[in-house]
Amino acid sequence: MTEPGRALFVPVLLGTVRQGRMSLPVARLVVSELSRRPGIETELIDIARIPLRIDDAGQAIKDPTFSAQMSRADALVVVSPEYNHGYSGLLKHALDSCLEEYIHKAVGVVGVSAGPYGGTRGIQDLLPVLRELGLVAIFWDVNFSAVQSAFDETGALRDQTYLRRIDKFLKELVWMAWTLRHGREHIALE
Amino acid sequence: MAAMICPTCGIEMNHHAEKLVYPSAPHEASSADPVLGGMIEELHTCPGCGAGASRRAEPAAPARRQ
Repeated sequence: MTEPGRALFVPVLLGTVRQGRMSLPVARLVVSELSRRPGIETELIDIARIPLRIDDAGQAIKDPTFSAQMSRADALVVVSPEYNHGYSGLLKHALDSCLEEYIHKAVGVVGVSAGPYGGTRGIQDLLPVLRELGLVAIFWDVNFSAVQSAFDETGALRDQTYLRRIDKFLKELVWMAWTLRHGREHIALE
Repeated sequence: MAAMICPTCGIEMNHHAEKLVYPSAPHEASSADPVLGGMIEELHTCPGCGAGASRRAEPAAPARRQ
């Protein structure tokens, strides 16, 4: 689905800073699949590269580049590994540095785990946070279970069935992004 | 309140959201709406370029009983 005019901007937020993180090939794969779609612009935003202080939190530590990326975004994909049944603390730290930038924009979550549940517990914890930030969550998720086996040593995807799931996920996300853009720009609150 | 005008396009922006924000410092406490418990931040988006902007809503006038 495309519409005339400005392309949608849908960045992919890599929500972990861990050494050897297996969410990186997942995030790259989602960026690649988004890039194939007409009318979509995307980029990978690595929270490890956002210069956020840890002696304060919230909008007081807003990074101008990340803020501008979120302001420009029509939707956001969050790639979120599950650590100890939750999402990464530094992902929360990064998300909390903005607020008005997110409001009435679509968000979808890609869960990643080494175990069998594909990050579902981390996603469940993350959803109420995303809602409070003003983002609108779609109901499709993508769940990468046993992620250490999902990619080969070159970073290529082994299990091609993930592509169909990502396609379904992105279709809903893009629909929601166009719909919310129309609402933000043309439908008044009252 | 007056409509917000996009600084880039010069056209009226669309008021599409209001977010309740809570006082985070003592000097903000007096600005809180006594019914809602916080302040309203208005969100506006330009239909021309998609730029967003926000501003603090004016406090509501106190309700009067007839």
